[in-house]
Amino acid sequence: MSDLKALIEAVIKGDISTATAETQHAVGTGHNAQDILDKGLIAAMDEVGERFSKGQIFVPQMLRSAKTMQECMKALEPFFQEGSITSKGKVIIGTVKGDLHDIGKNLVSMMMEGAGFTMFDLGVDASPERFVQKAQEIEPDIVAMSALLSTTMPSMRLTIEALKEASLRDKVKVMIGGAPVTEKYAREIEADCYAPDAGSAVSKAKEILGIS
Amino acid sequence: MLKQKSGDKKQASPLIRKRRRKAVYVWLNVQPEDIWLRVRHSDTIRRALRGGDIKLEGDCGGLGKCGKCKVKILSLADEPTEDERELLDDAELEQGIRLACRTKMSHDLVISVGEPTTEPEYFQVLTTSHGISSRYIPESELEPLVNKKLITLPPEAQDKGPSDLDQIKLALGDEYHNLMASLHCLRTLPQGLRESRYHGTAVLHGDSLIDWQNWEEVHRHYGLVFDIGTSTLVGKLFNLGDGSEVAVAYCLNSQNKYGSDVISRLQYIKERPRGLQILQYLLVRDLNQLTAHLLQTAELEANDIFIAVVAGNTTMQHLLLNLPPLGIAEAPFLPVVTDGLVIKSGDVGLKLHPEARLYTMPVKSGYIGGDLISDILTSGVAEQKEIILGLDLGTNGEIFLGNSKRLLTCSAAAGPALEGARISDGMIAKAGAIEGVRLEDGQLQYQVIGNIRPRGICGSGLVDLVAVLLHCGIINHEGTVRRSRRKSAGELNSRVIKRRAAGYRFLVASSEESHDQKPIYLTQRDVREVQLAKGAIAAGIKTLIDQLGIEAKDINRVYLAGALGNYVDPISAMRIGLLPRINPDIVRSLGNAASSGASMALLSKKHWQMARDLVDFIEHIELSYRPDFNEYFIEHMDFPTKNMW
Repeated sequence: MSDLKALIEAVIKGDISTATAETQHAVGTGHNAQDILDKGLIAAMDEVGERFSKGQIFVPQMLRSAKTMQECMKALEPFFQEGSITSKGKVIIGTVKGDLHDIGKNLVSMMMEGAGFTMFDLGVDASPERFVQKAQEIEPDIVAMSALLSTTMPSMRLTIEALKEASLRDKVKVMIGGAPVTEKYAREIEADCYAPDAGSAVSKAKEILGIS
Repeated sequence: MLKQKSGDKKQASPLIRKRRRKAVYVWLNVQPEDIWLRVRHSDTIRRALRGGDIKLEGDCGGLGKCGKCKVKILSLADEPTEDERELLDDAELEQGIRLACRTKMSHDLVISVGEPTTEPEYFQVLTTSHGISSRYIPESELEPLVNKKLITLPPEAQDKGPSDLDQIKLALGDEYHNLMASLHCLRTLPQGLRESRYHGTAVLHGDSLIDWQNWEEVHRHYGLVFDIGTSTLVGKLFNLGDGSEVAVAYCLNSQNKYGSDVISRLQYIKERPRGLQILQYLLVRDLNQLTAHLLQTAELEANDIFIAVVAGNTTMQHLLLNLPPLGIAEAPFLPVVTDGLVIKSGDVGLKLHPEARLYTMPVKSGYIGGDLISDILTSGVAEQKEIILGLDLGTNGEIFLGNSKRLLTCSAAAGPALEGARISDGMIAKAGAIEGVRLEDGQLQYQVIGNIRPRGICGSGLVDLVAVLLHCGIINHEGTVRRSRRKSAGELNSRVIKRRAAGYRFLVASSEESHDQKPIYLTQRDVREVQLAKGAIAAGIKTLIDQLGIEAKDINRVYLAGALGNYVDPISAMRIGLLPRINPDIVRSLGNAASSGASMALLSKKHWQMARDLVDFIEHIELSYRPDFNEYFIEHMDFPTKNMW
């Protein structure tokens, strides 16, 4: 699989044209689509996430890589449709009620998408009712919430309570994050996990679903 | 044993059980001042110190995130918590240093909270804005919100007028035919008139007579202005007779111990049933102390003051007025009131004359407060054809752009990094803070407040430092700290130190060079914080520029206000991309513009009216709803590639 190396490098660099060309090339030379995804794109994004967590790269670089990944995915689209690529899981994501911060949540969403999850983005200012409604509709594996203000953090607790009330809490894992959020707060409101940044969100998500 | 006994009665009514449960207390001894505090078992040290009114560093309001509320446990220290392991280094943990907000009192403790404060700390606060002259408005426009008039009631009128008040009306002339008087004033009026021998001073607020004084008092005409900042409070005393500034006093906002930014204060109010009352009490106590200092310098008494004007951000103004501010905490960020209010100062607890009036500046929205309205008033932008960009740089970067035709404002959540918070060795601008950094012959030259060895970096120093490191390539345009290949880096490369997982950090001052024998670093994470802060402000500016349909080069003048705004080097600010690249000569400091604007309102009814009109004139752009802002924000997190010098 050494010839996926160029693809991996291009995704890390966020070089869209090279990366899409490499993806086309890999498809053309008979690579398995699942391999291109897992050992190429996802491997690259794992590295990007790790570099971000370490502070070696920052938001613009990570976003560029995520966008590159999305472009490359388009080339793999037909394989998705014929079912030869499987999703890692369904995730509902949103910034909680009263909070309009978009960027961090989008980063997490793109990174998780890049890691093979199917994302359903509720946007910002998402009420507990909307989380519940969407969860009833699509039966996700994970509900992910973001809050950037300490004053809107309680909306996370309310959303978890709403999930309980709708008898959905046992069926999903809840993941939370955002600048003022802590591990301790996650325990306090009985979320399943806390992700300190977009890089680690992916590994945390895999961890709680018990996948590698 | 006692606990066990009460446990036996679990079946009994829960109310009784609760009453019988005895609270357990432990003792906390605080060095170096040897204060003993009786503390409820399991309370945190932070809570205990706050209860004892002992000052403590910290930016996050006790969330365990900033790692600054360090105390040293002198008695036996418990094992550190997870958060403490993360935020403190091994050497600190070894010495018994813990975080006050994470350490629970499970037994008696002796702690040290740093050096005794023998001398008052020197805080750098701007006091006047127009250089040496402290004149805020032309003398011709002097018409204070309260005025004094010398009146003689002719002997013949004394018998003719139907009442004491009517006689004063007559003497004042047609202009005052609607004159009213406060009850307080009427009660003392007959005696006052007699004592003044019908030749005295009428104290007038609009159509209202609020006091009658002896004739000499006509020259003792003073008023106050307060700039109620989230971190610092400034008070000014004015002579309303000639419009001159008599005295200035400032102090730190005592609310700081409940978090350094507006959001943590709101959070506190949300969590505590009496939170608002506590914060209001602290603020008024500070303002009364400032007032006492100001009055002392001019040998005045509280009774001599009939008027005060207050400017602050929307939340601070709400806190002063004891208005529930929680609407500001969440989208759609609605304040209770935006109008400029006129109330009796006694209603909020300010100790002035019983009839004294308090004016609060009008606000535009939850995050465009009376302070920015004051800035705009000071800048005079609404009366000019030239396009002016104004920035008030604090935790929120408030921005205005436009001219007399159209004026836009927005508030960009920059976070407190540019005030030194959330920066590992960051600090506010006080003694020991590196406030400026220059590169001379390949060596860094620091300017330190108070001319002592450095203890940390404040906002302006941080901007300079990042600009210098960008210049010599130790920080690249993506914000990564690394060793540089550029010649200009010279010896500085030896200060770039690799850390295990967290990349590189830059040694600003070694332990030998620093005041506290502790090295001062700029870490990779610090640079990321700067990127977020300057990215938000730059994106806010860009959004307004687009909205106004101009380009950066069309800006004729740039005004900087706020603590950072007045000290930041414009060229450094441009090098890091905080400001767009413009001619640095058009950048001016507005001084402490929040108090200047409020002073203008105090001294001239016309300007008070202008402030009220401004609120209708300006357009507020709510950035949180703008997708283009988010795009610009990300784009502007990177640093510019080009060097400035």
